[in-house]
Amino acid sequence: MDEVYYLNRKRRPEVSHFCADRDGAWGHPNDIVIRDMSWKVPKLIPRSAPVILVVLTLAAATGFAAVSHLVTRYTANQQARGRKLYALGLEYARDARYDDAIAAFRAALTCDPTNSQYQLSLARALRDSNDPQRLDEAESYLLALWQRTPQDAAVNLALARVSAHRGSIEDATRYYHNAMYGVWNSDPDGNRNRARIELIQFLLKENARAQADSELIALAAALPPDPSAHLQAAQLFEQGQDYAGALARYQEVLRLDPEDSAALAGAGETAYHSGNYTMAQRYLRSAVNANPADSQSRQLLASTDLILRANPFQSHISDAERNRRITAALNQAEDRLTACAQSAGIDLNGAANPAGSPLPALQARWLAAKQNLKSLRSPGETDLPDAIMDLVLQIEQQTAATCGPPQGLDLALLLISQKREAAGQ
Amino acid sequence: MSHPTPIVGASAPSPAARAKTPRRLFSTLEGVFNEEVFFLILCVFIGIFSGLAVVCFRLAIDWTHLALLGALPQTHSWRLFAVPSLAGLVVAVLVIHVFPGIRGSGVNQTKSALYIFNGFIPFRTAVGKFICSGIAIGSGQSLGPEDPSLQIGASIASALGRQLEISREKLRLMAPVGAAAGLAAAFNAPISAVLFVIEEVIGRWSAGILGSVVLSAVASVVVVRSFLGSEPLFRIPVTTFKRPSELLAYAVLGIVGGLASVAFAKSIGYSRPRLKAFPRWTQYFQPALAGLLIGLIAFLGFPQVMGAGYDSMDQAMHGQYTWKVLAILAVLKILATTLSFVSGTPGGMFAPTLFIGAMLGGAVGDIERIFFPHLTGSTGTYVLVGMGVLFAGFLRAPMTSVFMVLEVSGNYEIIVPVIVANTFSYVVSRGLQTIPIFDLLTRQDGLILPSLEEEREETILRVEDAMLPVPAVILSAQDYVDANFRRVQDSADSTSLVRMSPSGWNIVSREQLQRLFREGKGELTLASVLPARSLPSLYPDLPLDSALRYVNDYPLIPVVNRADSNRLEGVVTRESVFEKYGSRPAIAVPSET
Repeated sequence: MDEVYYLNRKRRPEVSHFCADRDGAWGHPNDIVIRDMSWKVPKLIPRSAPVILVVLTLAAATGFAAVSHLVTRYTANQQARGRKLYALGLEYARDARYDDAIAAFRAALTCDPTNSQYQLSLARALRDSNDPQRLDEAESYLLALWQRTPQDAAVNLALARVSAHRGSIEDATRYYHNAMYGVWNSDPDGNRNRARIELIQFLLKENARAQADSELIALAAALPPDPSAHLQAAQLFEQGQDYAGALARYQEVLRLDPEDSAALAGAGETAYHSGNYTMAQRYLRSAVNANPADSQSRQLLASTDLILRANPFQSHISDAERNRRITAALNQAEDRLTACAQSAGIDLNGAANPAGSPLPALQARWLAAKQNLKSLRSPGETDLPDAIMDLVLQIEQQTAATCGPPQGLDLALLLISQKREAAGQ
Repeated sequence: MSHPTPIVGASAPSPAARAKTPRRLFSTLEGVFNEEVFFLILCVFIGIFSGLAVVCFRLAIDWTHLALLGALPQTHSWRLFAVPSLAGLVVAVLVIHVFPGIRGSGVNQTKSALYIFNGFIPFRTAVGKFICSGIAIGSGQSLGPEDPSLQIGASIASALGRQLEISREKLRLMAPVGAAAGLAAAFNAPISAVLFVIEEVIGRWSAGILGSVVLSAVASVVVVRSFLGSEPLFRIPVTTFKRPSELLAYAVLGIVGGLASVAFAKSIGYSRPRLKAFPRWTQYFQPALAGLLIGLIAFLGFPQVMGAGYDSMDQAMHGQYTWKVLAILAVLKILATTLSFVSGTPGGMFAPTLFIGAMLGGAVGDIERIFFPHLTGSTGTYVLVGMGVLFAGFLRAPMTSVFMVLEVSGNYEIIVPVIVANTFSYVVSRGLQTIPIFDLLTRQDGLILPSLEEEREETILRVEDAMLPVPAVILSAQDYVDANFRRVQDSADSTSLVRMSPSGWNIVSREQLQRLFREGKGELTLASVLPARSLPSLYPDLPLDSALRYVNDYPLIPVVNRADSNRLEGVVTRESVFEKYGSRPAIAVPSET
């Protein structure tokens, strides 16, 4: 028996190794082979309690110093190894090789278990690996860091992103706010704005429009005089369909840099979406001039030009021009109605009307309106332009619903009608 | 064997001698330190030295692991085969030729030191355990560093005690004191270490040693934390326990854990003696073969089974593995640890037990959630509870298992699930495996050491079990001798109890009364003629052993009420006591070895 200091002689007496006092009085009779295996150490300590305590204290102090030296050296070696592994992990993370990055960060952490940077990077890699199972571990690392340094903005930002991954608006907002008001090691203002922008993007993605609006207002108030910051803010306003706010930000960018083609395009697009076609035309024209390759602005400009040319409610046009435009709109609507009915197999005269389509009724109203066109010149018919344009709007809307979105002049007419309707409401 | 003279207390110099010596301060201090005080101070130093040793041990394991297996774990690498095999070979040679006392975990060896060898553990054991366990665990053998730390601590304590020539009584206590220090340092959990040492090493509750064990454990933890920080072993995830109905899920985990514990214990209990029965030369290759097989498991895609496995437990706690992987890891770890342990490789079973429990807990929790999605316990909660479950079932240390989970998690919210699951695990394990693993190992080695589990089960005989009814005749010391003599004349009892005034009891025989009567003392009170001695009395709830001290001296001993010592509950006699002991069946020794 070789694990308890004596051996059953019947089995293996030759490997016995224990150990008795010098009188051989210990142990079990018969079965136990007693052999002293202890190292003979001379008695070094005098038999006096105070002296013993002094000696023990000195020994403990020496032990502390020796182990301290050992631990320091070992820690230094480990930290150096950890740094290498951490650098490797960062490289992997940059290449989106998250599994390798996670392994490297884990190994770095075994070398330096308390290093918050390693923990943060591991948590980020775990989060970015798009494995929902790893979010828990990422959160655990981050929460441990957060408990140690709740004011650390980077940790809060990472936690906010984990919560954003989970779609938890409440948690994400809280951590993003913590990040905004937390301590940044560098560029605090820029980082705060970036954190708020990220929060706004998250809120818009989650369709939390009201919260996003309040964050946008706060963002606008704290923007530095930097065109790119205002430009980004303007895009967020636009994304949140706050066109007035977006236009104001684009205009601020243009005040700082009048030649900024992105701001010109953005301002034009925003003005277009808000129905301010004259302003849109001005900005879009400038945007196309500044950047001839901007095809989107060019298309919008063409559409804007069409709208402005076709709009009978445009200010500063003569009555004759207005009547001409109304007539053209009505004719265009009729063309659209006929083409749509043909493609949908609807007989506008009422013979074949599948599923009770409203198009034949609109055709009948169109015919009646056509009859009234000549009354446009009459000064007493003040409501007639509106009535005709209402019909145009209905035709464009119904044909859009039946045959798909309109193009060209039909689109322009639809937008004109919609703007007028919105203004009326 | 010569008894060493206590170094302090008993040999304090006289005042006259003190006045003569120039070292007056030291002489004064000599008088201050009696042996008890000195022993307590010594316990603190044992804690410090054990803590320092364990810090070095942990660094050694880490360094060995990095040097042999590298920092980045790479599956399908030749190292996974070669390192544990070659390291196993080296360890085998060292164990057989240089450090023959270091096989196994170290818990039983420490217990043997306490009960058989008067606290003697060779210092060579500490050195050997440090080197060989460091190599074995660092090279990937499926063993843990806790039990070796326990033995290193015990060995240091024993060596220090011998060096200081403390009394044999105190030297016996050194082993558990050092063991607690070593375990507390390794596990960074002083309460669990103290409880484990009481449950498994000392094997019985002893208030006398508790203070020393606690002192050394706390001192060692302070030392370790000062060097390695107070970071817990695991990053504990959010653990919740919301609905009492979920205790059923934890009970299931307890039952599964109990079965796994039995399987683990049986596999070790079955294969260990068979491997030891092989020719001696095979012992050189058994650790190497175990290392090779563990390397194969790692090579095939489960490197988590290598070493202590704390990182993998941490990952399991955070839901990094599917239930299938968790279940496979639990099974493979049982296999790997069995291989490592029975091959005689020095190393502990603490960490593997926790590993198996963690994986099993995670697997059971995940499976339960598949069938009952409303369960709110996270994977981390089940992993934590699972650790305690295996601890309770396999190591059969139920109290330690509960406190270990609480200490590791720092979360008292899960105490109820832990207690429920551990209880089920313990009961299942006890039902299917009569002898706890550590007792099984000692019995395989031909030893029978005391066990707390046996003590818990042992039926204690009490005074009330041997108590006879209140005698019909009770004399009064205030009555006259002739009146008392008339009362005992018709009594069947030859000896009667005498109620003393104002309290107390005495006895008098019929012959004594007759003699007094004949001597003409019939007109005297009994109190005036009886010898002025007070008969000892017993209480019904006292252990019957306490009656043994008196039964030879007194034919009749009163058993009185604790609230009123004048109120007689009954009497015990020599015959009634011995009859009770005689009717008791002899202590059964389980046949399973």
